[in-house]
Amino acid sequence: MKRRDFIKDVTIGGFLFSFNPSLLAEANGPPDLTLVQGESPAQITKEAISLLGGMQRFVSKGDVVLVKPNIGWDRTPEQAACTNPEVVAALVTLCLESGAKEVKVMDNPCNPARRTYARSGISAAAKKAGANVLLPNNHRLKKISLKGEWLKEWEVYTDFVEADKVINAPIAKTHSLSRLTLGMKNWLGAIGGNRNQLHQKIDQAMIDLSAFFKPCLTVLDGYRILIRNGPQGGRLSDTELHQTVVAGIDYVAVDSLGATFFGLGPQDLRFLQLAKQKGYGESDLEQLKIEKRKI
Amino acid sequence: MTRFPGEDYIGRVEIFFHFDPLLALATLIASREVFFSFILAVVTIGLTFVLGRVVCGWICPLGAVHQFFSFIFKKSKLLLPKKRDPGPLAWKYYLLIFILAGSLFTLDLVGILDPLSLLYRSFAVSLLPVLSHVSTAFVSLLYQVNLSSLGDIIVQFFGKLAINATFRQGFFIGILFVGLVLLNIKRERYWCRYLCPLGALLGFISRWNVLKLKIDPKKCIECHLCSIHCQTEASPFPEEEWKSSECDYCFTCSAICPTSAIGFLPKASPEGVPQVNFSRRRLISTALFGVIAVPFFRFSPSSKRTSPKLIRPPGSLPEETFLQKCIRCGECMKACPTNGLQPALSEAGPEGIWTPILIPTIGYCEYYCSLCSQVCPTGAIKELTVAEKLQVTIGTAWVDKNRCIPYNLGTPCIVCEEHCPTSPKAIKLVKTEVKQPDGTIKTPAGPVIDLDLCIGCGICENKCPVVDAPAIYVTSVGESRSEKNQLLLDLLKPGEDF
Repeated sequence: MKRRDFIKDVTIGGFLFSFNPSLLAEANGPPDLTLVQGESPAQITKEAISLLGGMQRFVSKGDVVLVKPNIGWDRTPEQAACTNPEVVAALVTLCLESGAKEVKVMDNPCNPARRTYARSGISAAAKKAGANVLLPNNHRLKKISLKGEWLKEWEVYTDFVEADKVINAPIAKTHSLSRLTLGMKNWLGAIGGNRNQLHQKIDQAMIDLSAFFKPCLTVLDGYRILIRNGPQGGRLSDTELHQTVVAGIDYVAVDSLGATFFGLGPQDLRFLQLAKQKGYGESDLEQLKIEKRKI
Repeated sequence: MTRFPGEDYIGRVEIFFHFDPLLALATLIASREVFFSFILAVVTIGLTFVLGRVVCGWICPLGAVHQFFSFIFKKSKLLLPKKRDPGPLAWKYYLLIFILAGSLFTLDLVGILDPLSLLYRSFAVSLLPVLSHVSTAFVSLLYQVNLSSLGDIIVQFFGKLAINATFRQGFFIGILFVGLVLLNIKRERYWCRYLCPLGALLGFISRWNVLKLKIDPKKCIECHLCSIHCQTEASPFPEEEWKSSECDYCFTCSAICPTSAIGFLPKASPEGVPQVNFSRRRLISTALFGVIAVPFFRFSPSSKRTSPKLIRPPGSLPEETFLQKCIRCGECMKACPTNGLQPALSEAGPEGIWTPILIPTIGYCEYYCSLCSQVCPTGAIKELTVAEKLQVTIGTAWVDKNRCIPYNLGTPCIVCEEHCPTSPKAIKLVKTEVKQPDGTIKTPAGPVIDLDLCIGCGICENKCPVVDAPAIYVTSVGESRSEKNQLLLDLLKPGEDF
C-alpha cells in the first residue's frame, strides 16, 4: 500500500465513522437473524426469509435444493413433534421461485417413514408446493468421513451431500438429553446407522454433524413448540402456540435465539457452548443483529 | 394385497377370506360365534351347488399356482400323466373331517391347511420377503455400477409395496410351500386332488350340482386321453365313473378330446353318482382321531401360565377365544408397519403355531396404528379405531439394570425414554448413583418405568442401543385382554396405601 492510499483510506474511514454507526450497519446489508411472528406459518416464513435478503441470496438458478424438516415422529402438526407443513411448503415455494431446478424434502424418522411423512402433513404439503418428497433410501447411505471431533465417520444419506444447497428446517422442542432440539439436533435425521448410540455424547454429535452438513440457511419453526414430553409430545397440552419463525445463516445463532422460546440461553445448553468454542457460530445474542417483526 | 400406504385406515383388504366356506364353518364351530362378514361364503356355496367346483378350477389362487406349476412340470417332462393311476382321493375328506372334529372341541386348526390361509401366509412371511431380498440385492448391484436412477425407481416401487422382509419362520413356511408345489411333479395338482380340505368341502356340496359331463358315445374313440389329462382325477371316461365331486370344471377333457366328444350339460342328478371311495371305518376313526388330537394339542404348559413372550397384537381376544378364531393367515403380519408381528412357534403351545405375536426386537407396536386389527378376517383381533387402540395395553416393559448403559457405565442414554410414545411418558428418567470401576460414583439419569402408563408397545426394547439383548424389554404381563395375566390387583391404585 502506498502512503497516499493509506492516507486516503483513513480520511474516508474517519469521515464515515463520524456519522451514526447504524448507517454503516445498514450499508452492511441484511441482519444476522430475523424473527417474525404472526398468524400464518407460511406468511411468517416468507417474511423472515425476505427480511434476510430473500431466497435468491441462498438459492441460485438451476440449484438442486434439499430442505431438511424434522419429520421424526408419527404425530400430527397440532402435536408439534414435526416441522409445520406450511413452513416446509413455503420454503419449497420460495426455492422454486428463486429458480431452483429441483427441491427435495427428506428426513430419516424414528417411526416408520411412510407413516410419519403422511401424518405430519409434510408429504402432502411439500408435494403440493412442487417438491420431490423422498423416503429415506438405505441404498443411498454411505460411510463418509465427517472429520468431527468425536464423529470421525458415519453413514450419511448421500442426498444431503449431493444437493447444491441444503436448508435446515427444524422445529423447536424439548429433549430430555440435549434439553432442546432445534437446528443442530435436526442433523441426526440426515444419517443412518446406529443413531441411538450417539446419545452417549449427544452434544458432541450435534456439533460434529452440524459442522459437516453446514446448511446455507436455517429456518426454525416456532409456530407451535413442544414444551414438555419432548421430543414426541402427544397431548395438545404439551404444546404452546408461539407463532414465530426464526431464520439465519449462522445456525448457532438461530439455535440460541430459539432457546429463548423456552427461557433458556447458551449457559444452559452444552451444545451451544461447544459450538461457540469451536468457532462454528455466535451464541451471544448481544453480538448479533436481530430484526424482529410482527405481521 | 394388503399393503401399507401410511394412512390410518386401510379398507377391507381381507374380504376374499370371507368367501371361504371352510374358514367360515370351522371358525363358526370352534368359536360358537357367528362372524357376520362370513355371510359372503354363501356365494361360494351357492355357486358350487349349482355349477360344481368351478371355484377350485377358475377362482382359487392356490389352485392357480398348482395348475401353473403342473403345466410347467408337464412341459418340462418332469410330470408324465399315466393312463391308470388312481391316487388317495379320500385323504382330503379325512383331513376335512379331522379339522371339523377338532373344531367341535374348540380346536381351530383350519388355518394351517385352508388354501387361502396357506397361500396368503406363505406369500406374506416367505415368498414376498424373498422377492424383497432379491430386489435389494439387485438394487445394490445397480448402485455399485452407477445405475442409481434405475435403482431409485425399483426402490420406490418396492417401497410402495411395503413388504415386511424379516420373518423368523419364513424359511420353514417357505419350504413347506415349495414342497407342496413340488408335489405337482408326482401328480398334476397334487394338493387339489388329495390334500385340500376346502376342495373336499366343496366336493361334498357339489354332488348335486346341475352341470354334468356328457360323452357322446358315437364320437368317442375310447382313447382315454381325457382321463389321463384330467387335472383332478375325476375320471371323465367312462362317463358313468365320472366323479362330479372331484371335477373342477377346467374343461381340459373336452379340449383335449380328439373327436370333441365331451361336453358339459345341465342335467338333474341321477341316483347313485359315482363317489370317492371312503372307508366308513376310516371316516369314523379320523373323526375320533380329530377329537383325541384336541388334548394332544393342549397339554403344553402355555394354558396354565402365559408365556412372557406371548405378546399378542392390540385388540386380540382373550387367549382361549383368540385361538378359536385365528386362522394364521398372516394378514396382520403383512400389514404391521414395523414388521414386529411374527408367526409364533411354541409361545402359544402347539395349538398356537403361526399365530401372530409381537417380537419387539424385530419391530414394535406403532402407537397410532391399528392396522392389524383392521385386516384380521375373523375378528380374532377385534377391529379397533385408532382412538380405541390407544386404550389397549399389550404388555409391560422392564428395565434390566444389569445391562442398561446409565446403570452400569454411568453414561447418559435416554433412548428408551425419548421413544416412549405415551404422554406423559411411561419411562421417567431418575438420577441414580453408579459405582465406577475405580470406586468413584457417577450420578446419571436412568430409566424407571411407570407401570400405570406403560402400554407394552416395545419401542423401548426395539430402539435400545444394547443391541444383542436389550436392556429394556417387554413381557406380556398386564395385557388388557387377560384377567389372569396381571401384575397388580386393581383394588388399590399403585402408590395408594392400605
